[in-house]
Amino acid sequence: MNNLKKQLLAGPYLIWIIGFIILPMITVVLYAFTGDDGHFTLEYMKEVTLHAHMAAIGLSLQLGILTTIICLIIAYPLAMILKSFNFKHQTFVVFIFMLPMWMNFLLRIMAWKMLLAKNGIFNTFLASIGLEPLHIINTPAAVVIGMVYDYLPFMLLPIYNSMVRIKKDYIEAAQDLGAKSITVFFKIILPLTMSGIVSGIVMVFVPALTSFAVSDILGGGKILLIGNVIEQDFMQGNQWSIGSALSVVLMIFVLISMILSQIFDKDEGSVATW
Amino acid sequence: MVKRGFERLYLALIFVFLYLPITVLIVLSFNDSKTKVSWGGFTLKWYLRCFHNETIMNAFWTTLQLTIASALIATIIGTLAAIGISSMKRRNKAIFLGATNIPLLNADIVTGLSMMLLFVKFINLGFVTVLIAHITFNIPYVILNVLPKLKTANKYTYEAALDLGASKPFAFYKVTWPEIKSGVFSGFIMAVTMSLDDFSITYFTKGAGMNTISTMLYTELRKGIKPELYALSTILFLTVFILLLAMNIRNEKRSSHGKKPVKNFIACLLVVFCSVTLLGGCAPKKNSTSSKTLTVLNAGKYIDESVITDFEKKTKIKIKYEEYSSPEEMYTKYKSGSIKYDLINTSDYMIEKLIKEGEVQKLDFSNIPHINNIDEEILKLSHSFDPKNEYTVPYFYGTVGILYNKKMVSKEEVSSWKVLWDPKYKNEIIQQNSVRDAFIPALVLNHSSLNTTKKSELKKALKLLKKQYPLTYAYMVDETSDEMISENAAMAVVYSGEAATAMDSNENLSYSLPKEGSNAWVDSWFVPKTCQHKKEAEKFIDYLCTDKVAKKNFDYVWYSSPCKSVQKNLTDDFKKNPALTFNKKTLDKCELFHALSDEDQAYYNKLWQELKSRL
Repeated sequence: MNNLKKQLLAGPYLIWIIGFIILPMITVVLYAFTGDDGHFTLEYMKEVTLHAHMAAIGLSLQLGILTTIICLIIAYPLAMILKSFNFKHQTFVVFIFMLPMWMNFLLRIMAWKMLLAKNGIFNTFLASIGLEPLHIINTPAAVVIGMVYDYLPFMLLPIYNSMVRIKKDYIEAAQDLGAKSITVFFKIILPLTMSGIVSGIVMVFVPALTSFAVSDILGGGKILLIGNVIEQDFMQGNQWSIGSALSVVLMIFVLISMILSQIFDKDEGSVATW
Repeated sequence: MVKRGFERLYLALIFVFLYLPITVLIVLSFNDSKTKVSWGGFTLKWYLRCFHNETIMNAFWTTLQLTIASALIATIIGTLAAIGISSMKRRNKAIFLGATNIPLLNADIVTGLSMMLLFVKFINLGFVTVLIAHITFNIPYVILNVLPKLKTANKYTYEAALDLGASKPFAFYKVTWPEIKSGVFSGFIMAVTMSLDDFSITYFTKGAGMNTISTMLYTELRKGIKPELYALSTILFLTVFILLLAMNIRNEKRSSHGKKPVKNFIACLLVVFCSVTLLGGCAPKKNSTSSKTLTVLNAGKYIDESVITDFEKKTKIKIKYEEYSSPEEMYTKYKSGSIKYDLINTSDYMIEKLIKEGEVQKLDFSNIPHINNIDEEILKLSHSFDPKNEYTVPYFYGTVGILYNKKMVSKEEVSSWKVLWDPKYKNEIIQQNSVRDAFIPALVLNHSSLNTTKKSELKKALKLLKKQYPLTYAYMVDETSDEMISENAAMAVVYSGEAATAMDSNENLSYSLPKEGSNAWVDSWFVPKTCQHKKEAEKFIDYLCTDKVAKKNFDYVWYSSPCKSVQKNLTDDFKKNPALTFNKKTLDKCELFHALSDEDQAYYNKLWQELKSRL
């Protein structure tokens, strides 16, 4: 009885979930599948398969996967190093990597634009030491740099969290039994950090796939990702139905990622905890 | 040892990667220079000015209120939910946790637009809708921070307290709360961080007329960010830095000895933070109760603000002045109906559209005697959207042409649009990033009308544009002048007014109106149907047409003025300025835009996406 009352405390949240998460999703699906006359239609879904849309989806997938891989390659060794420093309090690490978020996201990306511009800070520096300038701005490379910068913490924190949770005893036991460090890595550290890796991948891949502001600023209007197409459909083109249809496609991608993370991620939300 | 060295180097590199952009921004906030690329000496003026800038301060208060309110509400709902969830059976728990994951893992853009689609059916988009959206994506962070604490908490102590006669709230306060409060606190901080940094979701749910710092930045990115915003962000960043540093010191200290002093310090800071926010919200907004208030809507940076105060002083009519960034934004702002505008200035084709929709009132020209001061040529040009000159009064006009760097391109070359297809200038060309403007050069070269809706002609133009794509440096709108001033490209397709401003900052730049013809545009004032003080609105229009005021605005805005008095008194320098004074013969070859039907606009957009996706 007492327990039931306690469960009722989740009531407001339940209402919130239904009203502001489930209902909006249903609205998107409705927009995507109903025509002007209010009947079911696949017309907008057909638009999704247009060449231009498929190209945008393709490019988004490509850059999203690339961003995720680079983040993983940077973050994993970083987590190992951070762990080896044995900070007394994990919060300090979190602190360092969360702090940049307090400088507005758009300003941070803007700063990258100034760094990478043709006559920007990097190229001025390169010229001063006698090197050829790089042409990075307004190319997919610039967009990937911006996204890696923005999403790196989302990869690092879950991996780091899962890494500090590995008990020293396991590693020592393995070493006592004669395992080389490579064996220790592949047999103990890697499997035990798998859940962190998977949630990191999901946390980076989804926003990278769907970003529109980064490609807008660092792509110089030349990089059209799926997020940009949707944004234009809603904010400029007044083509809400096509935008919704594309969103449904995105939702499918997100759903797949969520299911994957559910399979691997045994500990709830290691990303979102401080 | 070597390994340790490598590790340190790696850490240092990552650190540079993370904090270099932030350093750039902080340095910029102290930079005393007009352009953001060069260092002009140390200054603190942006810090002082940012507190006097009403738009920035408004956005700042909105952001703070939104952040604090959403984080607080989310913390309450989330903590309650966590307690509820923790006492659930496994299956229900799994369902709840699954739902909690949705806003966390879902794409921001989908979360934002899905809520927008639902909200627009019931209420006007505004502060409330953004607040709901922020609470929605904040709750999961709270729940996921509180749940683990509840898991490790001892279940029996709470029941023991009850058995010993404690009331439920008392037992909660004494037993459960101490165990979970660090989780609640982390959840709150996390929620504040996310809410403050959010852009996408706010962007979709905010509607017109409301701005947070993020959404304001997004529109400003195009026009060049005001340095005041760097200053504001630096203050915010450093405050949080100190706050979080203190929190970490607290954690360090806790392990050794007492924790009270630092903790109290943080509590104090938080209280100050919250109360300042609330006070800011309650602070009396400027009194606008005086009988006659004109609500004026104009494009950004498009009037000398002293003109407004002078007018208020002279006539005792109050003016509520609002800005928009594109005619399309103006249209949504006006149509949303949340504010009743008395007077609006916008571009030709948009006025044509509004006239067709019956949204524009005929002017009473007996109230606008200074219409005499307007150039007949420009009135003639206006026939394109206002055939009898009965709805509008021109404000500024201009053309679309090529802004070029004299060091890199010759005058002869830019006399024709063809230069935009010259492979010599690969990576040196900036094209317009709006569909219709970008099509101008291609349509003109193909001898098509700029208002063509024939699919064959548009396809032919697209083919030409596709050929141009690999040569372009970027597609931009308002950022163009900044890029040209810092000489990142050799030429750009721009509005003449922008060219004039850019030429003022960099003397290597000049403007050319290609001989094949181009687009001309006229921005005009009109009185919309929502107007409540038509006579006063007409009085303001008339005021803008007087000699002195027109000159003042011209000196500030730096676009071609249709006022004869301004044209007559131009110095020779101005008369020779190709971006301000046009050859009447070339002007005759220019065509104004007409409003497109939704269907045609959709077709244009489709071609545009095809171009951008490099097919």
